[in-house]
Amino acid sequence: MSTQKEEPETPATVDEGVDVDEIESLIGDHVLEREDHLNAPGFVIRADAVQDVLGALKDRAGYDHLSCVTAEEHEDRFESIYHLRKYDDPTDELSIIVPTSRDEPVSESAESVFRTADWHEREAYDLVGVQYDDHPNLERILLPDTWVGHPLGRDYNQEKPQIVTFDENRNPLEEDHRGDGEGDTMFLNIGPHHPATHGVLHVETVLDGEQVADVNPDIGYLHRCEEQMAQNGTYRHQIMPYPDRWDYGPGGVLNEWAYARAAEDLADIEVPEYAQVLRTFSAELCRIACHMLALGTFCLDIYGDFTAIFMYAMRDREVVQNLIEDLTGQRMMLNYLRLGGVVWDVPEPREEYFENVRDFLDELPERLDEYHDLITSNEIFQARTVDTGYIDPETAKDYGVTGPVARGSGVDYDVRRDDPYGYYEELDWDVVTDDGGDNYSRLLVRMREVEQSARIIEQCVDLLEDWPEDERNIQANVPRTLKPEAGKEVYKTVEGAKGELGVYIRADGTDKPGRFKIRSPCFSNLSALKEMSTGEYIPDLVATLGSLDVILGEVDR
Amino acid sequence: MTETPLPDTIADLLGVGGFFGEALSMLLAAALVGTIMLTMTAFAGPWAKRKLTASFTDRISVNRIGPWGLGTIIVDAVRLLSKELIIPEGADRPAYDFAPIVLAGSALFAFAVIPMGNGIQLADPEVGLVFVFAMASIASLGLLMGGYASNNKFSLLGGLRAVAQNIAYEIPLVLTAASVVLFTGTLQMSEIVAIQQSTTLATIAGIRIPAWFAFVNPFAFVLFVVANLAEVGRNPFDTPEAPTEIVAGYQTEYSSAYFVLFYLGEFVHIFLGGAIIATLFLGGPAGPFLPGFVWFTIKIWAVYIFTQWCRSAIPRVRIDQLIGIGWKGMLVLSFANLVLTAAILGVTGL
Repeated sequence: MSTQKEEPETPATVDEGVDVDEIESLIGDHVLEREDHLNAPGFVIRADAVQDVLGALKDRAGYDHLSCVTAEEHEDRFESIYHLRKYDDPTDELSIIVPTSRDEPVSESAESVFRTADWHEREAYDLVGVQYDDHPNLERILLPDTWVGHPLGRDYNQEKPQIVTFDENRNPLEEDHRGDGEGDTMFLNIGPHHPATHGVLHVETVLDGEQVADVNPDIGYLHRCEEQMAQNGTYRHQIMPYPDRWDYGPGGVLNEWAYARAAEDLADIEVPEYAQVLRTFSAELCRIACHMLALGTFCLDIYGDFTAIFMYAMRDREVVQNLIEDLTGQRMMLNYLRLGGVVWDVPEPREEYFENVRDFLDELPERLDEYHDLITSNEIFQARTVDTGYIDPETAKDYGVTGPVARGSGVDYDVRRDDPYGYYEELDWDVVTDDGGDNYSRLLVRMREVEQSARIIEQCVDLLEDWPEDERNIQANVPRTLKPEAGKEVYKTVEGAKGELGVYIRADGTDKPGRFKIRSPCFSNLSALKEMSTGEYIPDLVATLGSLDVILGEVDR
Repeated sequence: MTETPLPDTIADLLGVGGFFGEALSMLLAAALVGTIMLTMTAFAGPWAKRKLTASFTDRISVNRIGPWGLGTIIVDAVRLLSKELIIPEGADRPAYDFAPIVLAGSALFAFAVIPMGNGIQLADPEVGLVFVFAMASIASLGLLMGGYASNNKFSLLGGLRAVAQNIAYEIPLVLTAASVVLFTGTLQMSEIVAIQQSTTLATIAGIRIPAWFAFVNPFAFVLFVVANLAEVGRNPFDTPEAPTEIVAGYQTEYSSAYFVLFYLGEFVHIFLGGAIIATLFLGGPAGPFLPGFVWFTIKIWAVYIFTQWCRSAIPRVRIDQLIGIGWKGMLVLSFANLVLTAAILGVTGL
């Protein structure tokens, strides 16, 4: 099913999967009113009943995936929206809307029901200013502790610069952690500048000898106000370049698609079929490039140096990068998608380009065999990765873990198949899962996903080659200025390289979004690090971090 | 069989004698050997390392300055030495300063008794082998000093790892060397070399195969090479440094000249490991056609290249796995090797 068939959806058709009456009977006492989002029915509930409602929905209606928490400030109220869905069927969605007064924006925390709410609510508090009662650790997560105000709030003065000096920032080194001689643990800052953090991530670690007693990832070093910037851009042209900066793995097209999917749903735009094939094709190229990078850096963490396997992965990624560059004109900030299609067709001469793609696809199995020889069948490598960084499927779901990390734990969840978009449904491919739940499984899943992506690309090339010349429509007719009507809300996700990448948009009647919220897969995946690495050794912590494949640009946004 | 030690040769050449003459010739000899080793380790070593790693990993590496990029090493040396020497606040001063000197010095000391062929050997004491191991072991002291004195937790972890690793692998190393001593009946380095060369293992098609201990006891050879990898801290046993885990281990806080000394010390150690392997198992400077010193150089370079190969291709083991392999695997095997060798020698009466 391509998106165009989904476009004319009214709330009524979405409701097909959701038995609204049954839900209402389940949580009826707490419901204040009904509301409809484009993607899901919404229930407005009392602020003190969040745990009851979400608990009931999770335990009795099977909504086991808290995909995202969006907070926003309206003229008369604060709102927290819990986007719920099922791991078995992500099209079965619910929005739980929790309004609170502006004077006293206190809402009950969902942390005791969904562990993933911990970080999401901290972010909502940090950026919007909603307070969560019963939250275990309601601190700022992206901004420095001494920041004044909540930048996405209405009263926030965006003109006034704030400078947080180094001294003012909380310095974990300040207090003497050497202790009084009785403690037998050691506090260690891994990062923000450390060879293993793949960016600026700060992991506050408590060590018992060399074993990890506690970890706490401290994020926000790469926060670039992506949501704010998107809210200040017009739908039609100004927002699309930003998604490239989230997952610069380069997940370019994968990220852009998240915005495109949400915005096209919001503005009722039909995407021509040919453009859908091009999108699918370029997205899978990006996925291969991302997975190659993940493989290379993960092995870098295990091997400990810029050794053969890292360079081999880079070499093969380079081939994909060249294909992406030929197609989009860019290597990193692709800016290839447009609302209603893509920016241009495959480069001329087409035959030559397709030949290059096919050459790459032909060589890929051999390359992957080489990787299997070098790494997955290496005994030391197995000793290092098997049974380390373990996370069981239930805990993974509780933390909202998605993507290869979830599939490595046996959670059979892939938005491409379960909530089809683009051209995926017409193509022949498999969702890869592995039951290991450890670092080794996550690597295997990525390597096998590369094979599947190659299958998809091959079919796309066949389609593109045979497409009649006069039907190569790469963009729908989209008005120069898009002004979706006020009050329309939509939350749509796509399968990024790291997992479920979602965008929530509330239209306010202008040509810019009223609220633009990004659901980053890395953000949720990283929050589960503690579960995976407590009790293990530092090298395993580093390996686990590598196997999560976090891109800090996407975590911090 | 014993060749005249180098200082005596120089003394004869210069025709000097007496206390001062001997002291002068000893200094000259030491300077000669030191220069040879430093050229190899500090100049050719890093250059070859870059080129080798590059070819293992599909890269080109240094090629801009000088022929084949050799000049890069000089530029690097100038660059490193001209950098600011940053000494962390709270560093334990004398220990912090001594650590790099101890590390580099210990490895160079041990070269004093290694016979390098063509009479290049500074001294030939009867306890030569013991002296080599004693000197090489001092290095762990340097690593611990550096790790502890840096006042950095990563350094501390690296220093502790270095000591744990060296203790775990030193014992198998020495025990395996002892099985060689069982054959030779002497600890004198020149004797060990001579016995390997004078004994014939077999004659195949008219070519005499000397009884190098790598051929006599391949099992001990493999054990020794593996233990040596851990001893010099190269993959898969580079846990004390472990970039990506503990930043750079014991040398995290070292910069400028101290860093150069640390780095140099490590390289000299790898070459010393190669020299010990060459002397104990590969017949030292012996070999056909070419002069002994050339053969000796070839042999230690072979070991060096082997460590670089391992570095590029083998993942690092975790510290607990490393200690496990050392105490549960290597130690048992090296004892088995020693006892079996002793038993066989006793029964056959060789």
